[in-house]
Amino acid sequence: MRKQLSVLLLSLLSIGVAYAVPPQQPKAAGIESPNYVWNADAGEKIEILKLKGNAERGKEAYQGCQGCHKPNGAGLPDGAYPQLAGQHASVLIKQMADMREGRRDNPKMFPFAGKHVVNTQEIADIAVYLQGMKIPHDNGKGPGTSLARGKDLYLKDCQTCHGENGGGNEKKFYPVLAGQHFKYMLRQIRDIRDGKRRNANPKMVKAVQGYSDAEAEAVVDYMSRLSMPERAAPKP
Amino acid sequence: MKPFAVISTLLAGAMVLGEAGAALPVKGDMAKGKQIVSQICFACHGLDGNGTEPTNPEFPKLAGKQAGYLLKQLNDIKSGRRKDEIMSGIVANLSADDMANVAVYFAAQKNKPNKVKNPELLEFGKKYYSEGNSEVGVPACYGCHQPDAGGTDVYPHLAGQHAAYTYKQLKRFSTGERENDRGLVMQSLSMRMSEAEMKAVSEYIMSIK
Repeated sequence: MRKQLSVLLLSLLSIGVAYAVPPQQPKAAGIESPNYVWNADAGEKIEILKLKGNAERGKEAYQGCQGCHKPNGAGLPDGAYPQLAGQHASVLIKQMADMREGRRDNPKMFPFAGKHVVNTQEIADIAVYLQGMKIPHDNGKGPGTSLARGKDLYLKDCQTCHGENGGGNEKKFYPVLAGQHFKYMLRQIRDIRDGKRRNANPKMVKAVQGYSDAEAEAVVDYMSRLSMPERAAPKP
Repeated sequence: MKPFAVISTLLAGAMVLGEAGAALPVKGDMAKGKQIVSQICFACHGLDGNGTEPTNPEFPKLAGKQAGYLLKQLNDIKSGRRKDEIMSGIVANLSADDMANVAVYFAAQKNKPNKVKNPELLEFGKKYYSEGNSEVGVPACYGCHQPDAGGTDVYPHLAGQHAAYTYKQLKRFSTGERENDRGLVMQSLSMRMSEAEMKAVSEYIMSIK
C-alpha cells in the first residue's frame, strides 16, 4: 500500500497538481455535530505539539503572518486581526490546527496559513516565537461605560478558567485574554454564544449562552483592560 | 488517515519545501554571466539590469534582485511553470550554468532609482503597501517584501521596479495566468485586490529607492 502510494505521489508530482485558487478551507465536524469532542487528542495539533519549536526560525516564518498581525504581533485595534504576542503556544497551535483542518472557519486567513503554504514545523516555530513576545498595552478597548457590571460577570463566569489577570491556562489550551482587542473578543464571544465558532469549548458556550449583547459587551470591555504582568511589555 | 489525505499532506509538504525559491544559494560566474547578458538580455533588461524604460516598461528591472529568485524564475520559465512567450524562447537556449551565471550577474548590479509617473497615486499606494486591506483580507506588502521593499532570502526584492511590470504581474497572478508563486499566496491575495489598488501600489513600489 505504501509503495503504491509513493508511486502515485511521484506521478502526481511529475504531472503537476492543480490546486484550487484560492485554496479552499476544508470543513470538519464541529460543535454542531452530536459526537463533537472539544480539543480531541487527534489530528495535526498532536503532530505539531510533538515538535520542538525554535523562536529564531519562528521569527523568519512569521514574516508571512506579519502583513496582517504586525511585526509585534499586535494585530489591529479594530479587531479585524487579533493580538497574538504573548499568547500560549498551546493555544496558537490548537487554533491553527483547527483552522487548517476546518473546525474553525476563517476563509480570509486560510489561503495564507493552510497546509499548502505553512508546514507543521513552521507552526511550532511561530507559536514559540509569539509566546515569547511581550503583550502591548495599546490594544483596542471598550467604551468603559459598564466596567463594574463587566467585572462582576468576569469574576462569576470567566475567572475560573481564564484567571484573575486574563492569563488563561497553557496546559488546558485556554487563551490569554489580557491585551486582546475589545472588538475581536466581542466577535468571538458572540460567535461562541451563537454556535458560530465551531471549535468552541462547550463549557465556554454554557458560560456565556445566557448573555445579552449588553452583558457580552460589558464583560469583554473589562477583559480588554486586563494585564498579565509576567508577559506585558514595559509601560511606555 | 485516508489515502487521499496522506497524499495531499505529502504533496503540501513537498510543495512548501520545493518553493523556497530565493533562499537557495546560487553559485555562478559573474564574468560569464555578463557575457550572456551583453549578447542577449541587455536588449530588454539593460546591461546593468535597470531595464530599458521608456521603451519597454513591461520588461522588468532585474538589478539587485536575489540570485535565488532570478534563477527560480528562469527555471520556471524553462519548465513552463511560468508562462512567458518571449522569455521561454530565450531561456530554451540557456543551460543550467548559463542561467546561474546570469542570475548572479544581475543580482550583483546596482538597482537605480526609478522615475514616478503618477505621483497622485503615491499616498494611497504607500498606505496600501503598509496596511493592505483588512476588510477583504489582503496582507500588507511589507510583511513579506519588507518596509524598504528589499525582500529577504525567501521573498523577492521589489524596490524601484517599473510600475507597468508590477501591475501586469499582479494582474496575471489574479487571473491565474501566472501561477509560480510560493504557496499560491500572490494569486490568493491579488484576487482580492481592485484595479485601483494594483495601480497605486505598483506606483509606490516604483518610487521606493
